[in-house]
Amino acid sequence: MNRLKTITGVAILIAIFIMSSTTIFAQNFIGKQIMQKVKDRPDGDTRYAEMTMKLINKRNRVRERKVKSYSMDIGEDKKTIMFFQYPGDVKGTGFLTWDYDEIGKNDDKWLYLPAMKKTRRISGSSAKKDYFMGTDFTYDDMGSRNIDEDSHKFTREENIDGHKCWVIESTSKDKQDVFSKKITWIRQDCFIALKVEYYDKLQKLQRRLLLSDIKKVDGFWQAQKLHMSNVQTKHQTEISIANTKYNISVNEEAFTVSNLERGDF
Amino acid sequence: MKKYYIIITILLWSSFVFSQDDKSKLNLNGFLDTYHAVQSKSPNDFMSSRTRLRTELDIKKGKSFMFASLNAIYNSILPEQTKIELREVFLEYTTKNWNFKAGRQIVIWGISDGLKITDLVSPMDMTEFLARDYDDIRMPVNSIRVRYLNQCMRAEIIFIPVSSFSIVPYQEENPWSVFPSNTGNYFDVNMNVNPEKTLKNSEYGGRLSFFLSGIDFSLSALHTWNKMPIFKRQLSANNDTVFAVAVHNRMDMIGADFSIPIAKFVVRGEFAEYFGELQSLNIPVNSNDLLKRNTTNFLLGIDWYPGNEWTITAQYSHKLISDYIDIIENKENTALATMGITKKILRSTLCLSTFTYLDVKNMGFFNRTSSDYSLTDEIHIALGYDCFHGDKGMFGMYKNNSEVWFKAKYSF
Repeated sequence: MNRLKTITGVAILIAIFIMSSTTIFAQNFIGKQIMQKVKDRPDGDTRYAEMTMKLINKRNRVRERKVKSYSMDIGEDKKTIMFFQYPGDVKGTGFLTWDYDEIGKNDDKWLYLPAMKKTRRISGSSAKKDYFMGTDFTYDDMGSRNIDEDSHKFTREENIDGHKCWVIESTSKDKQDVFSKKITWIRQDCFIALKVEYYDKLQKLQRRLLLSDIKKVDGFWQAQKLHMSNVQTKHQTEISIANTKYNISVNEEAFTVSNLERGDF
Repeated sequence: MKKYYIIITILLWSSFVFSQDDKSKLNLNGFLDTYHAVQSKSPNDFMSSRTRLRTELDIKKGKSFMFASLNAIYNSILPEQTKIELREVFLEYTTKNWNFKAGRQIVIWGISDGLKITDLVSPMDMTEFLARDYDDIRMPVNSIRVRYLNQCMRAEIIFIPVSSFSIVPYQEENPWSVFPSNTGNYFDVNMNVNPEKTLKNSEYGGRLSFFLSGIDFSLSALHTWNKMPIFKRQLSANNDTVFAVAVHNRMDMIGADFSIPIAKFVVRGEFAEYFGELQSLNIPVNSNDLLKRNTTNFLLGIDWYPGNEWTITAQYSHKLISDYIDIIENKENTALATMGITKKILRSTLCLSTFTYLDVKNMGFFNRTSSDYSLTDEIHIALGYDCFHGDKGMFGMYKNNSEVWFKAKYSF
């Protein structure tokens, strides 16, 4: 009798383990599938946008940065060229990135400094974790990140402002990353994140990103306002995206050091 | 000449302002900066006190582009530096694969920071030695450049009809004069012995650059001059005056450079062979004597980007004079090293930096340490210290010129 009880207990434990493993596997599988859909969301093969970034400190003092950017998808890779427009002391500075999707392959990056009349080859691996131009966005946040750099887990569904969202928890596989995990609320109708929370290495909420003014531009869904607040430092950054154009007439040969130095295409 | 420049500039600018139509894009930018430096040792003389208005105008229409920049400078220490000058003015026309650029322009070759290996096109203005921003030291040249461009390659040819030469401070009142005032001798300097302005004396060259995934590299060649003058010196009969004449001579350069990013580092290298580089001699010479030698020049550098807005750079450059003889003033082997550290804090509004040139043979150095704070989006204020150390060599001669400086800049 006792033996039967033991066998039954073990069987139940195995069943629970298999079920929970299956559930975890399913959560991870679904989480990755959703993030893949977000990454694969149609956004044209080429695009242009003008960004105005307002940096707001805890005393509500505002600084402004303006950037215009062109980008192009080449398979899974992406080429981007950015020209700094404001403030005056950085105007004309250009940043060219050949961003590779392959994990472990460093991006190629060049920085043009107009005062020096010179283009510098810079490291493709380090700046990703740095904050972009003093904003609350890292270079990684501004660029494209391979979904396999994080483990994704679907946790639940939630409604935000009447929009049905999937909630995905992503854990970075890189211990050097500035966040340990992030939780993303993804709108189910257009695969755009409405909210992202970034947690630091002590698992405390560090930054919160809210996306708004989501609409179709040239037939593609886009969030035109991004508001990132660092809840620990009380610093905030608002990005407004304007004059977005998709599938613009530009070819791969435009993303060169020569155009970087000319300040335009 | 000043009036000529001003009138031409006003006419040019006016014509562009009034002739622009809807398809033209005109931008007016620039800055106002003021810089003041005081010697840190007694007698605490002011080493520099100048204010400058830089205006930059560009106009773009289709494939055409024009750029002009103008400096209006007031200098309290060196009155002859109070002036209005055209810095750059050029026109540019670009098609899918071709770029044509003609006019007065700054041309930078190579990958080194603050050192010149293949970078021999634009001369240097050494009026205040290296105690200025490096981009202020570079001088424009009147040149015509034609470039063929494609995705990963750029081929450039350059023609400089009339050469420009580096400016060397020699006036007694200039604290950066290369002629020491404490030797008891009077220096009678003749700087106006530039080559004749003939086609034969023009400069020309080319550069072939590749920008590839994982590596950039370039090959370059230039038929040029030693733009930094060599001084022929003769003592007067009663030994109280040194007559110094600036001399320039033809030389050729072939060179190569590369940059390779490796993880958080970028390794850089540059090599150039100068053929027939004029050498300064340590004995008085007759005016017809010139000594030329081939020299081998190379540089190795490394940039480290550890993150958190730190940048650390180090460079080592070496010069070897072939067929060396003892009357050459420079050593057979000379070496310069640099070390730079930059850190941005407070949301990139405060930039702390230090950059050192080390004269390896003479164990002298020049260090510039500064903090630059962005008070507003338009205004930067900077405070720094320039330290010279050594008993001989290019930095040792300025050992009493260590200075504290202040700079404010308004960009528009």
